[in-house]
Amino acid sequence: MIASLSRATPVLVQGIAGRMGRTHAALMAAYGTNIVAGVAARTHTAGVPARADRAEIAGIPVFPDCARAVAATGAIVSVALTPPAETLAAARDAFAAGIRLLVTVAEGVPAHDALRIGAAARAAGAIWVGASTPGLAIPGEVKLGFLPDVALRPGPLGMMSKSGTLSYEVGWRLARAGLGQSLWVGVGGDPVKGVRFPDLIPVFLADPATRAIVLVGEVGGTEEEDAAAAYAAAGATKPLYALIAGREAKEGVTMGHAGALVHGASGTLAEKTRRLEAAGAIVFPTIEALVARCVADFSTQGRHA
Amino acid sequence: MMLIEADGKILFAASGIAVPPGIEAATAESPPLPGSGPWMVKAQLPAGGRGKAGLIRRCADASAVRAALRDLLGATHRGHPVRSCLIENLAAGPEHYLAVMLDPASYGLRLLYRPSGGVEVEAAGTLAGTLCAPDDAALDEAIARTIPHPAIAATARALGRLLLDQELMLAEINPLFVTDQAAVAGDAKVVIDLNALPRQPGLVALLTARPAAYPDAIRKFESGFDYVEIDPNGSIGLLTTGAGLSMMLIDELTARDARPLNFCDIRTSMLRGSPERIIAALGWMAARPSLRVVLVNIFAGITDLGEFAGLLADALAARPGLCVPVVARLIGRGAEEAGRILAERAPGVALEMELDAALARVAALEAA
Repeated sequence: MIASLSRATPVLVQGIAGRMGRTHAALMAAYGTNIVAGVAARTHTAGVPARADRAEIAGIPVFPDCARAVAATGAIVSVALTPPAETLAAARDAFAAGIRLLVTVAEGVPAHDALRIGAAARAAGAIWVGASTPGLAIPGEVKLGFLPDVALRPGPLGMMSKSGTLSYEVGWRLARAGLGQSLWVGVGGDPVKGVRFPDLIPVFLADPATRAIVLVGEVGGTEEEDAAAAYAAAGATKPLYALIAGREAKEGVTMGHAGALVHGASGTLAEKTRRLEAAGAIVFPTIEALVARCVADFSTQGRHA
Repeated sequence: MMLIEADGKILFAASGIAVPPGIEAATAESPPLPGSGPWMVKAQLPAGGRGKAGLIRRCADASAVRAALRDLLGATHRGHPVRSCLIENLAAGPEHYLAVMLDPASYGLRLLYRPSGGVEVEAAGTLAGTLCAPDDAALDEAIARTIPHPAIAATARALGRLLLDQELMLAEINPLFVTDQAAVAGDAKVVIDLNALPRQPGLVALLTARPAAYPDAIRKFESGFDYVEIDPNGSIGLLTTGAGLSMMLIDELTARDARPLNFCDIRTSMLRGSPERIIAALGWMAARPSLRVVLVNIFAGITDLGEFAGLLADALAARPGLCVPVVARLIGRGAEEAGRILAERAPGVALEMELDAALARVAALEAA
């Protein structure tokens, strides 16, 4: 479903009455995303009515829950711009309403909440991207979340990343060199999440617009290792270029992202590199080395993209 | 993040998991030793590989304990100084391995048990284990299916309850000493979820009772952003946003033989018009005498760099104590305005457009 998103896909925004919700609903709409509805839960705390009892925000009709928003507008995708502690409730609301793809951007969702969101998505047969993600985009077509426009450019590279900012840096340098993206998915830096790297390998391999895969990973967890296994199993039919941050990460300490944690032999860069290289991927030591190789291999496609 | 063993065992004991009698010592003049020897003297720090690194010693008598303490206290392992040691009575019996952890792929729990333990299975990733749903009933059923020994099964249930109640990521016992009637936790490896701390006051109390052991976690809890000291003798302070990019900068600087002091994810979108976070981060850097240069690197997707530059100038003005050069690489929304503001309000800040040029400049200033 992710690769077939378009500017026709109807999207709703949960948490639209908040500071982030208002801002990013407008920015996504400006990019071309078809924002058809907003949801603002009418929570009453200590007798104070929420400010969300409004019919519309920035021209977007606002509903008290996803069920009513979906019934009125036919939205099938939701971007939840909710605080971390409210993201589980928002996800349950979305899946109960029949949302097929949910993107949650909140950073700091407790891992045990993420287990429940993931299980709810699976039970509903829906796709969850997040948490702790800047979102995803098909450049020139649709943007769900807040990947920066300056780094987005249509092109041949399928990009997936745990880190927002590191992927912005990579995407921006590639875009400046004329190389854009077919599809860009931020999977987020949490240890328990929705879509993981290995889930996206078959998506990129099947997507005719994707000529090569760029994986921007980091230490902690086993996603890179699992992606290597999925890539090898699928036949490695397109190049896979990888950059992994955290060689010098301090053991036992969470490096900003809750998932970026090395303990004992678990989650180390050496193991991820070994597994990716054994699967046929190329792992680069620096951002510049990855960019240079992509440009060398794909600059022709880049110019025509 | 990982707890030190002593704190893991505080959680274990409170959950009904047997641990050997023990005391903690922060100086070689240790308090009265528990029971009679022999004793194990174990360096306390949140990292694996202690046994292989010689940080766990078996001591036959009190003078050997004192010698081990003199040896271990103040040592450093994988970036962590040894601030205290745990001294325990030697536990005996066959060594087993037991762990409960979150399983991100199945959105459930993974129960790992093996009737052999010790340092050789520290690479526990090779164990498949048993998957179950993240609730007490499913875990009890999984334990009943896989662990016949009553004392080990009881320990596994307590470990699982602890993981669910305190929202842990991992609770591991390696080795678990097993006899006919009892199972005693020889070690405790517990990984907590910092994102769950707002609703886990017990864990907050555990961390704040031991500020020297968890400086990075306490900084995050109190200030709301991430600042991890990588190398207390490092010379390059990093004022950066984004965890992945900050880690990558540390890797690339280290590969150039430069010595970064810290990791930093200041989260520019959360500054909300206040220079407070920037002042705090610059203060932590300035407190290290080895600091030679500060690198500011912000890729602004959403953040307005003009506003950030103003806050940076405010923070630099508020910190006259910071007397090292500052190199700033600001890219994205409002970069030109940011350059204008810095030229006017903080003309000492050297601006670079390219990251590689900024890294080269920082490395040169560090070496100067």
